[in-house]
Amino acid sequence: MRTEVGDWIVGPMMAIFGLIGLYVFGKANDGEMAVFGASLAAFAVVFVFGLIRRHYDNVDAARAAAKDDRHG
Amino acid sequence: MAEAAAASPPIEYNMDVVKKFIIASIFWAIVAFLVGVYIAAELTWPWLNPGSWLNFGRLRPVHTSAAIFAFGGSALLGTSFFVVQRTCRARLFGGKALADFVFWGYQFFIVMAALSYVMGYSQSREYAEPEWHIDLWLTIVWVAYLVVFLGTIMKRQEEHIYVANWFYLAFIVTVAMLHIGNNIALPISLFSAKSYSVYAGVQDAIVQWWYGHNAVGFFLTAGFLGMMYYFIPKAANRPVYSYRLSVVHFWTLIFLYIWAGPHHLHWTALPDWTQTLGMAFSIMLWMPSWGGMINGIMTLSGAWDKLRTDPGLRFSVTAVGFYGMSTFEGPVMSIRQVNALSHYTDWTIGHVHSGALGWVAFITFGAIYYIVPVLWNRKALYSTRLASWHFWIATLGIVLYIVSMWVAGIMQGLMWRAYDQYGFLQYSFVESVVAVHPYYVVRLLGGLFFLSGALIMVYNLIQTVRSPTTELPREPLISTRPAVAVAVPVAGE
Repeated sequence: MRTEVGDWIVGPMMAIFGLIGLYVFGKANDGEMAVFGASLAAFAVVFVFGLIRRHYDNVDAARAAAKDDRHG
Repeated sequence: MAEAAAASPPIEYNMDVVKKFIIASIFWAIVAFLVGVYIAAELTWPWLNPGSWLNFGRLRPVHTSAAIFAFGGSALLGTSFFVVQRTCRARLFGGKALADFVFWGYQFFIVMAALSYVMGYSQSREYAEPEWHIDLWLTIVWVAYLVVFLGTIMKRQEEHIYVANWFYLAFIVTVAMLHIGNNIALPISLFSAKSYSVYAGVQDAIVQWWYGHNAVGFFLTAGFLGMMYYFIPKAANRPVYSYRLSVVHFWTLIFLYIWAGPHHLHWTALPDWTQTLGMAFSIMLWMPSWGGMINGIMTLSGAWDKLRTDPGLRFSVTAVGFYGMSTFEGPVMSIRQVNALSHYTDWTIGHVHSGALGWVAFITFGAIYYIVPVLWNRKALYSTRLASWHFWIATLGIVLYIVSMWVAGIMQGLMWRAYDQYGFLQYSFVESVVAVHPYYVVRLLGGLFFLSGALIMVYNLIQTVRSPTTELPREPLISTRPAVAVAVPVAGE
């Protein structure tokens, strides 16, 4: 199972967006900025969890395929 | 090339992201049409305007953004990823994570924009309402989209870049340029949503309409022409009528469209020569538009019979007809003297909807009816009869919509300019509002028809994916078919 280069770029990028979202949420001067900041942080967390989940799904799938091969 | 293709292992295309975009497009279509119907009712019966959150002024950009960016945009991004992979024989560049970022990032932009409108935040720039922070987010997503699309073209295994990709790429690059150019603004603070444009006065107006008209030209035209040049030949199983004409169509359209924006500012403080320039280039646009229309329709040469049996193709070809009609009407309306009558009236609304419903929505429906069975590996649509019903209901809806708006608009224009023998205006403004009321009811009815057709499509597509009747027959691993045909006993034998 190989992790794609895109994962290594998009994952940290989303982590940075999440932190920016939290910072904007904390310093927001109006309701719109608060909603945007909080939503950006939540979006980043869910997206990164999605990346992690897909990675382990792929690991499991590769392991299962290897097991099938061994048992003919 | 063909031998090399046969020898190389099959390419594992990323169709997951295409599926997601198609589902999103269908979902946003319903949202856009539903909000459209509601705001049409708000205009017809003003008491339907509740408190500030859901009044016409805030819901109108929700409707336009949902129709253009959410429904149309998701369809464009999804089909462009489908077409570029198939025609370049290459998997999407950047891996699944980057493609997923483009999808979810774009959906995040749509939700944030819609939420900001109902909360009362807007730049008050037509089709560019989102404030600076949402614009920045869209820029990031759009650059990622460009990287994926261009990267896929660069690693292609086909020597030739098919013309549909040219149109998609022009759409991506130009929309990036327009979006950045029009949205340069200074926020009042880094943590406030309010910002002010760096442009002022008539410069602000011309930059806005340079953006606004090219949003029509490159988002709603070039991108969907990419769709036309791929899906009509595929559905008709015919080559493009004239590939050379498609290339001429591309270059003339790209060159001429970018100058046409000033026709939105006739009879304003914009210098006369600039208005004339916009008008002249708008009229010149007849040539590429009609060249493209002829090319799209003539692609059916030798396959006209398919219009009877394939409602998806019927949508696509009717869309090209509407494209020809609205690109004829647009230049007529850009003539200064005609514009004096049509501007600020409902004629413009009718014109926009003949393009948006007839061209954009129909070409998208045609592509969706083609692509859903392909993506979900089904043998055909669940029901061609339901698709046919969708076609006729939606067509009737468009006719009701645009005819009522033509009549209402021309009547408004004539009432506003009428004066009596003493030189006084013959009608007060409110009299023109009362006069158009019946046409607003007809427009609402047209919208309801269009929405009903789309709901039929949703049911048909869900059944296409789920119903056992559309499953492809499974080939057994070892053929059990006898070598010689066995006579099937007939009843009574």
